Amino acid sequence: MKQWSPSYPFAIIIALIALMPVGVLIWLAADSPQLFDARNLDILTNTISLMLLTAAGAVILGVPLALLTSYVKLPWARFWLVLLAAPLAIPSYIGAFTFYAAFGPGGEIEQMTGINTPVFDGLVGSSIVMALYTYPFVMLTVRASLLSLDASLVNAARTLGMSLFSSLWSVVLPRITNGIAAGALLAAMYALSDFGTPAILRLDTFTRMIYVEYNSFGLSQAAMLSLQLLVIVGLILFIESRVKGTRERPGRSLLLWPGKLRTALMLLAASPVVIFAIMLPLAIFILWLWRDGAGNFELVYAWNSAYAALFAAIAAVIFALPVAQAAIHGRFGRLTERVSYLGFGVPGIVMGTALVYVGLQLSMLYQTLALLVLAYVMRFLPLAVGTIRSTSERLDPSLVKAARLLGASRKEAFRRITLPLSIRGIVAGAALVFLEVMRELPATLILSPLDFETLATYLWRVYEAGYFGQAAIPGLLLVVISGLALAVMFYGERWNQTDIFEEEPSVS
Amino acid sequence: MQRRTFVQSMAALAAAGALPISLNTVLANPASAVSVESLPELKGELTLYLGRGEGGLYENVIKAIEERNPAFKLRIRRGPTASLTNAILAEAKAGVRRADLFWAVDSGAVGMVTDAGLAQPLPTDLTGQLRDNFQFPDWTPVTGRIRTIPFNTERLTANDIPDDIMALADSDFSIAWAPAYASFQSFVTAMRILKGDTVTADWLRGIDARATKFAGELGVVMAVERGEVDLGLANHYYTLRLKSGKPQANVDLAFTRGDAGCLVNASGIMALTDNELAVNFIRYLLTREVQSYLAEEAYEIPLVDNVAPPAGLPSLDTVSPPEIDLTQLADLRPTVELMRSSGIL
Repeated sequence: MKQWSPSYPFAIIIALIALMPVGVLIWLAADSPQLFDARNLDILTNTISLMLLTAAGAVILGVPLALLTSYVKLPWARFWLVLLAAPLAIPSYIGAFTFYAAFGPGGEIEQMTGINTPVFDGLVGSSIVMALYTYPFVMLTVRASLLSLDASLVNAARTLGMSLFSSLWSVVLPRITNGIAAGALLAAMYALSDFGTPAILRLDTFTRMIYVEYNSFGLSQAAMLSLQLLVIVGLILFIESRVKGTRERPGRSLLLWPGKLRTALMLLAASPVVIFAIMLPLAIFILWLWRDGAGNFELVYAWNSAYAALFAAIAAVIFALPVAQAAIHGRFGRLTERVSYLGFGVPGIVMGTALVYVGLQLSMLYQTLALLVLAYVMRFLPLAVGTIRSTSERLDPSLVKAARLLGASRKEAFRRITLPLSIRGIVAGAALVFLEVMRELPATLILSPLDFETLATYLWRVYEAGYFGQAAIPGLLLVVISGLALAVMFYGERWNQTDIFEEEPSVS
Repeated sequence: MQRRTFVQSMAALAAAGALPISLNTVLANPASAVSVESLPELKGELTLYLGRGEGGLYENVIKAIEERNPAFKLRIRRGPTASLTNAILAEAKAGVRRADLFWAVDSGAVGMVTDAGLAQPLPTDLTGQLRDNFQFPDWTPVTGRIRTIPFNTERLTANDIPDDIMALADSDFSIAWAPAYASFQSFVTAMRILKGDTVTADWLRGIDARATKFAGELGVVMAVERGEVDLGLANHYYTLRLKSGKPQANVDLAFTRGDAGCLVNASGIMALTDNELAVNFIRYLLTREVQSYLAEEAYEIPLVDNVAPPAGLPSLDTVSPPEIDLTQLADLRPTVELMRSSGIL
């Protein structure tokens, strides 16, 4: 029997904080007269299909791109990394809307080029859009795991005659299942809780029912339905927790130096993702900008977005560390970690209102920046916990034990061993939270300080009114700032001491 | 009227120190639109919860009002009407009151807040400025919108479209609609009130057989314009705004007569604190200048007498909307339940 980890008390408190909005939902749902009814069955089927297809699509796109960005020595490597992570900066409803406007008869593509394109909607359309905007979850979590893998196993496999591809498949892949599962979990939960994409692409999902109830002032029914959705979320959380990774020693990571032609081919293969997820929406926006004019956008919105997201990213990481530590330490800690995930599966509008009730309990702080940041942390904590946990759990515990044996205090061992070795996960987690906060809308609208306009709230304003041209500049800025933030954060990875090996070429 | 000239003209009026006509003039002629010239200067600070996201136009109105009243500051929280309504109710429950004013996009939200007893009564000389059907004790409509049938001009002419909304269910047009959209649900509520639940349910099922669902009514109008369907059911301004950006668009408006199909609904504003300044701010929104600006630029229908409707829209007197008290439209729950049991939602 292991002794209780010192991270447990913190983890329990943080898990309880993250659980508060869910508690509010239960309280709100108490008034609801109806439980599940059978008419909802095909909606449930749609919801689950969308979730599974999104997770599958995100893994299919995310894992190869993670391999590309972590193991292949690319020219302008950071640029590609940032570009490939940038879809996280675009709200998926914006993506869905531009896809809908671009494709199909009479769409923008047909008007510009005369080429007929199929209508983009339904389950297939929604899954593709969702996958395009959630694969970075998988890419970033997998990349974080990949970089902490020791390359010598792959090198050994290759020395023994295995091809590169099959050694990646049978030596690397089984060791990153945790990262894949963590990313797929986030993609699946995003798909479950997003309203905009299926609504625009005409797919009836659970969130749509919730939205209808919410808008017709059936708040208690909306809360009840959200709790039912949480049952699905709980199920996924359970499945994901059954995925067992392997424990191993960290080492220097694999590095491949392909020829120019191969590099070009690999980048070419990745380009459709960039074209569809980023260039297409931006191109459509620019077209609309040229048609409608820019409106009265102010740069301060971008600044507001950036610093609120930065505070939230830092706070989320601080909150996530003990939870991730506890999750590694034992079964109870694992439970607190699972609990902290629940809120991520609640649709934003309902969560926004739940957070209002939580916020009103601290009426001194209500509608201040501090509370807004806390709300972001409650909402997006799982993003940081997932990435930090998946990298720190492959830390060799004997390193910490050795440090302790050599006289380091717990604190020192954490600061000098655990922290530096899990910095990649911390950075990736902070990046995910930052990006997600940049595009968060429902909570920002209600809980922000007065006159605190962000890029996302401005985008909502103009989108709501149908003045799409005015969405071009904030849309572009959202991508650029997120890109810059990603660049800074990826640069920060160099703190990792094992990186000193990166300069020397590895065999490939 | 362009934004710049609008702002300038309001500012110029202020600079010229135009003598404010006393409120008695307004009282003497309650049915005609008031000019900003006759209003008292606003001094102080107000917080407005604004349940809509119009990009720029409302900002322009607010900026112009602030420019005219240098000692006045309006602080705004924007959000979806349902979210703000829930927030206001939650705040009231917790004993916190942050908003002085609530400007809601549909009458359902207005009903929720007034039913909770949170709205302050408004002076009758203010509510008296509105058309007869739009006078309420504790809130006032700001602008209106009318239910329309946008149709594809390459496929149909206005004459092909029945002037009875009920007949649409027996036609063989392909139809676009947005049943989850609040304005659509208000329209169904009106139909329920006028025709009863059974007839409405039959109508919904009849349309559903040949209809494509959209998330919002802008999507409806876009689908009509690009020829995905013959016609749609939508608020008027989506079509007018689409046409202003794209004058050769293949879409035009048709109207039914005297039924829910041409219901006039309104956005409404109410004072949440007992505050003279809040009431005077509402007066500004009802002036000739603001009403005609919103009509010309946002294509919304002025509900104050003697202000012209937006270009491309017939006057309210010729359209013959149904006689319905807007407060009845707040009865939304039975509508949603009816739509769900008919398999629409």
